[in-house]
Amino acid sequence: MKPAALGPDKSLKGRSKSNPWFKEIWKHRMTYTLLVPGLIWLILFAYLPMGGLSLAFKHYRANDGIWGSPWVGFENFKYVFRDPTFAQAVWRTLYVNIIKLVITFPFPIILALMLNELRMGRTKKWFQTVFTFPQFLSWIIVSGIVINVLSYDGLLNSTLSLIGLPTINFLGSEKMFLPMLIMTDIWKSTGWGAIIFLAAISGIDQDQYESAQIDGASRMQQIFKVTLPNILPTVTVMFILNVGGLMSAGFDQIFNLANAATQNVSQVLDVYIYRITFQSSTDFSFSTAVSLFRSLVNMVLLLAADRIAKLMGGDGLFR
Amino acid sequence: MKTNRKMPLKPLLAIAMSLVLMTATACSKQDASGGNEKDADGKYKDKLKISVAQTTELKDGQMNNEFHKFWMDKFNVEWDYNYIQWDSWAEKLRLWINSGDLPDVASWNYVHGDFMNYVDQGLLYKFPDDWKERWPNIAAAYKLTGLGDKLEELTGGTYILPKPVYYQNKPADPLVNQIGVIALRKDWAKAVGFELKDEYTTSELMKYAELIKEKDPGKLGSKLIPISYNADDALTNIVMANSEHSRVESAFYKGEDGKFHWGPADPETLTGLKLMQKAYKEGLLNPEFYTWKNNESGDNFKVKGVAGITSLGGLASYRQDMDKAMKKNLDVNSDDLVHTAIVVGDDGKYRNLEQPNFWSSLIFSPNISKEKFERIMDLIDYSTSKEGQLLLNMGFEGKDWKYDDAKELVSLLPEGTSLEDKYPARFEGLYVLGDDFSIVNPAIKKEYRDTAVKHFQDKAKLGSEGGKLAEYDWDVQLYDSKAKSQASFEYQNEYANLILQSGDLETNWKKWVQSKQSLVQPALDELNNQKK
Repeated sequence: MKPAALGPDKSLKGRSKSNPWFKEIWKHRMTYTLLVPGLIWLILFAYLPMGGLSLAFKHYRANDGIWGSPWVGFENFKYVFRDPTFAQAVWRTLYVNIIKLVITFPFPIILALMLNELRMGRTKKWFQTVFTFPQFLSWIIVSGIVINVLSYDGLLNSTLSLIGLPTINFLGSEKMFLPMLIMTDIWKSTGWGAIIFLAAISGIDQDQYESAQIDGASRMQQIFKVTLPNILPTVTVMFILNVGGLMSAGFDQIFNLANAATQNVSQVLDVYIYRITFQSSTDFSFSTAVSLFRSLVNMVLLLAADRIAKLMGGDGLFR
Repeated sequence: MKTNRKMPLKPLLAIAMSLVLMTATACSKQDASGGNEKDADGKYKDKLKISVAQTTELKDGQMNNEFHKFWMDKFNVEWDYNYIQWDSWAEKLRLWINSGDLPDVASWNYVHGDFMNYVDQGLLYKFPDDWKERWPNIAAAYKLTGLGDKLEELTGGTYILPKPVYYQNKPADPLVNQIGVIALRKDWAKAVGFELKDEYTTSELMKYAELIKEKDPGKLGSKLIPISYNADDALTNIVMANSEHSRVESAFYKGEDGKFHWGPADPETLTGLKLMQKAYKEGLLNPEFYTWKNNESGDNFKVKGVAGITSLGGLASYRQDMDKAMKKNLDVNSDDLVHTAIVVGDDGKYRNLEQPNFWSSLIFSPNISKEKFERIMDLIDYSTSKEGQLLLNMGFEGKDWKYDDAKELVSLLPEGTSLEDKYPARFEGLYVLGDDFSIVNPAIKKEYRDTAVKHFQDKAKLGSEGGKLAEYDWDVQLYDSKAKSQASFEYQNEYANLILQSGDLETNWKKWVQSKQSLVQPALDELNNQKK
């Protein structure tokens, strides 16, 4: 059906019949114009730099540039897979991030549900501000706070000493490293993560709640029977996106909280890439090969999570 | 409803203008303006703005002092100074060099593999062929480093100025690395009945630490740190003292069998690690020593006054700095409290690294203009001359120093002050390291200078008479390959991690050695094949 608002347009007459896609864009051209800056940004900073991935198959020479450097095939990957630290870093990354995902993912949802139940607007805003604030602190600051609290002569150990308990080496313990990552991640990111779920909750048709109340549903029943089913598509999308980042999350956090004592449990792929790029002889081709491998695994994980979500009856990420 | 068909020109224009501006900014390049012509008074006519990167901290306002003004006036330059923190030095230079953002001249901690890579990629400025004739003072100091000539053979030109450690005041022969000198609290040693000597084994120092921990002569309670070493200090003064090939500088070496070996896998390294673990488990090292940054271990000794032993290093200037810091922070005379000594292995053998006469280097941006390069070289050449060295290390003649009747240098600075107090951050000493002049510098207490020279001479004697100095093997040092680069580790962190692991240290060490073989063995194979 021809949209009435568009009216006759001679310039589009020929094309609109053969190209409904262009017609649709023209119809909403004002809206699409708003996309232009974002699109340009995406092309400039996300798609064009992808050409640099060719470095993974080259021997990079700065004076020849990315395009002029000689091709070496899979030579760089040979060195990547020879390094046992690389394989360890891959498994460590998956291990750390899967555990972090499983434990931390529900927290923003729970917080969003709790905030949604607050009826007093001011209190709700106050709590939301308090929970969101840590997100705006960089990991350098957060790790500084954590180290000051948990160090040998820090707040926690001083308190333990005061009450006659033995001090604990929190920062040098491999066993405590992962819990420390999880706890700091929850503290820093839960409030921010909850915003997207709060937005999804605010979009739920209020009639559903009224109907539920008329049917005598309790608050808990409303949460489980109305709120959660309605935000499930958002939860699914967020989960898939998180799975897609399993190989690359957490550099700032881990890098700033790690030390020599915890290097065996903190050597994730991002830290490995940083180390081979900036702390040993510089070889950008080698670093790019590792990064490309990481991106490929991330993509496979993303597609797999999307497929599984669809098989389970969800919407998935790609239509 | 009628759709507004006007094209949204304003936002599109704004985007287009932004892109044009971004492109213009990205493509613009600063060209040098001015040349090196001099006027009738011999002064440069044109002022040049020169960017320089150094590890000397220059605080706000310090550029305005008389000393810096002298250099700026004499060479008619305006500095764009970039301070590089010690901890991020290597990383920052790597970024700058690889991204083409290197300042006009920069101090760089020379790494051979990287150097060859940079030269290959055209990332460093190539000196003109006649530079040695044009700047003879630099050429003379350059020759003493040994490295410069060897690199020229490999690259066919000069791309780097290795910094000479000693130029005219070599303290001992053979030259041994200045590391491996510790400072301990002699007042506490007397209080616990510990004998003061010029050299101690690692176990003797641990015994001292145990005694002060037990008797707490400083009445510090839980604040006491018997041995204030960070991971790097522990590697130097515990592990290296027992295994000369445990450090990155000497990890690959040619053994008596004529084949190359990897030092961290030697039993001596395990001996050092066992001692380090013992010190940690007995609470002699701080529970979190491995988290300390560069200065923290020394600050516990000279700023907080809570440490029994710290790593000092062998330069007289280090001892002078310690004296000043203790006076300023603890209001004490360090001569009453500090004793310095060298560390020998538990088998009584002295170990250290044979010292080539260079440490770090100067490099120039490949985009530097000819005029700027020549102006900087003029400045360095002057700074390397006798007059320049006196100015850099003593200040102005007649104001800060003079010759006495016997033609000996005499400092005119007030008692208890140093040139650093009067003219802070004298970064203009770009080339010859301060180690050389510190041997004769009257601004440093004679006692400190004499002790420093004695330590150097003891090291040389002990090292060559039954000791084990790790030879500076040019074949290894100048060998460059991807395999060798990959087999480079941060040993101080690796060792700290090993001694902190639960379970049997020897088992963990063997496991660790095994885990590194896939990287180490290819490098060893290459080195062995290279020699055939």
